[in-house]
Amino acid sequence: MMNVADAETRQTARPGLWAGLFAVNMALIAVLSITDALEQPVPVILIALNCVLLIPMVKAALRRMEDKGAVTTAVRRYNRRFLGASLLYAVSMIGAGTATNYIAANSPLMWALAVLPMLPAFGMIWAMMRYLAEETDEYQRHRAVQASMVGLALVLVLGTGWGFLETFGLVPHIWAWWVFPAWAMGLGIGMAISEWRHGGSA
Amino acid sequence: MKNRLRVLRAERQWSQQDLADRLDVSRQSVNAIETGKYDPSLPLAFRIADVFALTIEDIFLRDPEEQAAQ
Repeated sequence: MMNVADAETRQTARPGLWAGLFAVNMALIAVLSITDALEQPVPVILIALNCVLLIPMVKAALRRMEDKGAVTTAVRRYNRRFLGASLLYAVSMIGAGTATNYIAANSPLMWALAVLPMLPAFGMIWAMMRYLAEETDEYQRHRAVQASMVGLALVLVLGTGWGFLETFGLVPHIWAWWVFPAWAMGLGIGMAISEWRHGGSA
Repeated sequence: MKNRLRVLRAERQWSQQDLADRLDVSRQSVNAIETGKYDPSLPLAFRIADVFALTIEDIFLRDPEEQAAQ
């Protein structure tokens, strides 16, 4: 049963739209950097800027979850932590990407900059582990685990596939730091699949 | 798994949210259990039974095929 107010909020909350825009931008950046139309670190900076789109996407997704009565205390906490860590990740990416041009190669500072994004990446994993530990709603926990498995599948299958394609010289090289965004995209896809299968609640 | 949650809720005039609050789970979870999309764990099934002051078997019904196989 859905009343008029629900229908209206559901129309305004469209995480898929933001996710689509994000994906299109990512694809454009990928094509431009593979065809060497853009030189490093420009793609890195563009990718980081594109991540700003994830903020309205998360907000829309959250509003949609609220509509469906799927937001638990643990989800709220997780969203805050994860968003904080992803902002730090974006900042450290832009920072490191920009700063590399002004730093001597192989200098200790270069090492420090390169390792810097590991901290927010760890923060995101920590947020997820805390979520699974704090979530008392077993159904929501079950769905979160399933969605993260889709992300894992995407990273492992695509990563393995691409690795062999690269070994045989069929495709260009892709930086290994792509694993995290790829996993996050898989998580998003997993959540969308779960919403589609279990969705239409209330 | 089939269950009588919707009927039991209606008898008490509880909304899905009311039941969710009593169980300390999300409304979406109540909906998923009620529509048979998700089978609750044994601890949650006991909590549901306690909320209605019934036994688990009064609420959750065995699948006919499973019963036939026994």
